[in-house]
Amino acid sequence: MTALDLQALLPLVLTTATAIAVMIAVTITRRHGLAAWLCAAGLAAAIASIASARECAPRHISDLLVIDSFARFYSGLILAGSLVVAVLSYGYLKLRTDRHEEYYILLPLAAVGSLVIVCSANLLAFLLGLELLSICLFALIAYRRTGRGDLEAAVKYLILAGASSAFAVFGAALIYADRGSLAFGPPGLALSSPVALAGIAALLVGVGFKLALVPFHFWTPDVYQGAPAPIAGFIATVSKGAVFALALRYLSTENLLADGRIIWLLTAIAAASMLAGNLLALRQDNVKRMLAYSSIAHVGYLLIALLASASLGRPAAAIYLTAYFLASLGAFGVVGALSQPTRDADALADYRGLAWRRPFLAFTLTAMLLSLAGLPLTAGFVGKLSLVFSGVSSALWLLLSALVLGSVISIFYYLRLLAALFATPPASEPAISSPNTPWPTTAALLFLTVALLAIGLWPAPLLDLIQKMAVAAW
Amino acid sequence: MTDVLGIVMFVVGGVLFVLVSLTVGRLFRPRRPGQLKGEIYECGEPTVGKGQVQFDLRFYVVAMLFVIFDVEIALLYPWAQVFRQFPKAAFWDLAFFVGLLLVGYAFAWRYGYLDWTRPRAGGQADDDAQTPEQER
Repeated sequence: MTALDLQALLPLVLTTATAIAVMIAVTITRRHGLAAWLCAAGLAAAIASIASARECAPRHISDLLVIDSFARFYSGLILAGSLVVAVLSYGYLKLRTDRHEEYYILLPLAAVGSLVIVCSANLLAFLLGLELLSICLFALIAYRRTGRGDLEAAVKYLILAGASSAFAVFGAALIYADRGSLAFGPPGLALSSPVALAGIAALLVGVGFKLALVPFHFWTPDVYQGAPAPIAGFIATVSKGAVFALALRYLSTENLLADGRIIWLLTAIAAASMLAGNLLALRQDNVKRMLAYSSIAHVGYLLIALLASASLGRPAAAIYLTAYFLASLGAFGVVGALSQPTRDADALADYRGLAWRRPFLAFTLTAMLLSLAGLPLTAGFVGKLSLVFSGVSSALWLLLSALVLGSVISIFYYLRLLAALFATPPASEPAISSPNTPWPTTAALLFLTVALLAIGLWPAPLLDLIQKMAVAAW
Repeated sequence: MTDVLGIVMFVVGGVLFVLVSLTVGRLFRPRRPGQLKGEIYECGEPTVGKGQVQFDLRFYVVAMLFVIFDVEIALLYPWAQVFRQFPKAAFWDLAFFVGLLLVGYAFAWRYGYLDWTRPRAGGQADDDAQTPEQER
């Protein structure tokens, strides 16, 4: 390992060091503020190190990892998402539980798992990252240990993640049996033998579970409802984004889209996810469950970028994911900021007349929902537009019609929540008399809103960055 | 041939070790049989009865702590194999690795996970944690 390798690995090293530093600090003294600041500072340093590593990419580090501009872009997205989650968690945890500090050990470790997934050039590294991410999430989901919902969500996630990991490991084993190596590529090899094809199908189950695509989506609403709001945001964004980036890399290094069967399989999954996610969200009165179902639909949309040609699909995926990160984290951030010590603000009734009681939070949530719905002036619009462009250029008409249909349905339930926000407040005491928002939460939400509107109004800088980083061939 | 001899010696040595140590123990230890001693040893858990019993959650922590040392041993053997080839690098590698595990160990120690009867945050012993002695 050379100094340049180390420089390329710096984001991973710094994030790991963050977890260790927080652990040492917690061993010495239990202070919530100290742990949260250390965690946030470490993640920020890791983000800064990505920029510094610009010169030395792409590098292969042993056979396991590859640090190229694609990996760096998604690493930045993951670390920024984790940083926002850490900041949002500070205000959220302050009102809950007397043990805050271990949370800030688990969060950077989950981020490391996601980084390993994004940088992996080998199925072994992918499985390693997947396990690290999952194990941290089990504990984070059940972190409050107060309600039955938390434990139910954690146990559900534990069992289903275990089962899906078993599929992924079995798939990797089949691929290894076929070709004697776990490294990605060379292209086309996988399609030649039925054993490897079965392996890829099993891998798809593992990936589909983490992405909550339609036949593997049943855990999503329960886990989002039971998990603390910032962690629900983390699962919706960081965990999914990492696995999606891996899927993008794997599909194109192995050139799997040369096979018509795989295209049809992915098309069916994508269309089913868009329609089922949106239709199931329609009837939800629980905001967290609604966001969960809508996240299923959003990953369905993203699959269009996976199936489209690489030159347009890859930038579209990066833009859409960035917009989705901002809007999802913002929406879950508002849910967390409104939440009571005893329960999360997840009932639709909690939001009735919010615009008159908490104008800032209502405005933030409005921006996030409009972006999720893909309306103009928000980042979500830019994302959806580039998805449609990439789909049109590859003539994915079936998926595009599903996208249009899904978007129309989704506007209905987003508007339903928006209408509740601006309804006249009930004359009686509001269902939730919220405590004041702590300033770190306000700052994080403000950042997300500004970024969301800035990208919506003036997307050129982001598009330039993505053209430079997320499209590079490997 | 010598390979087989090694295996045979290993098996015979293993059997002899158990027989000899049990016999020597029998010659020296006092004999005071009792009902409790006659039970099958299963870490204090009931050995006969329904399978669906809630066993002590503290075993879970013990298992987690075991992993700290287990992982350490798993790396120590290959490390010892290559130590002579790169003494300096190997030393610092292991020092870093063991240092990391020690942080976990210190964490567990600091918050009382090494004690069977755990102190509360206030410092006094946990009242509702029942030790096996109290249950009897």
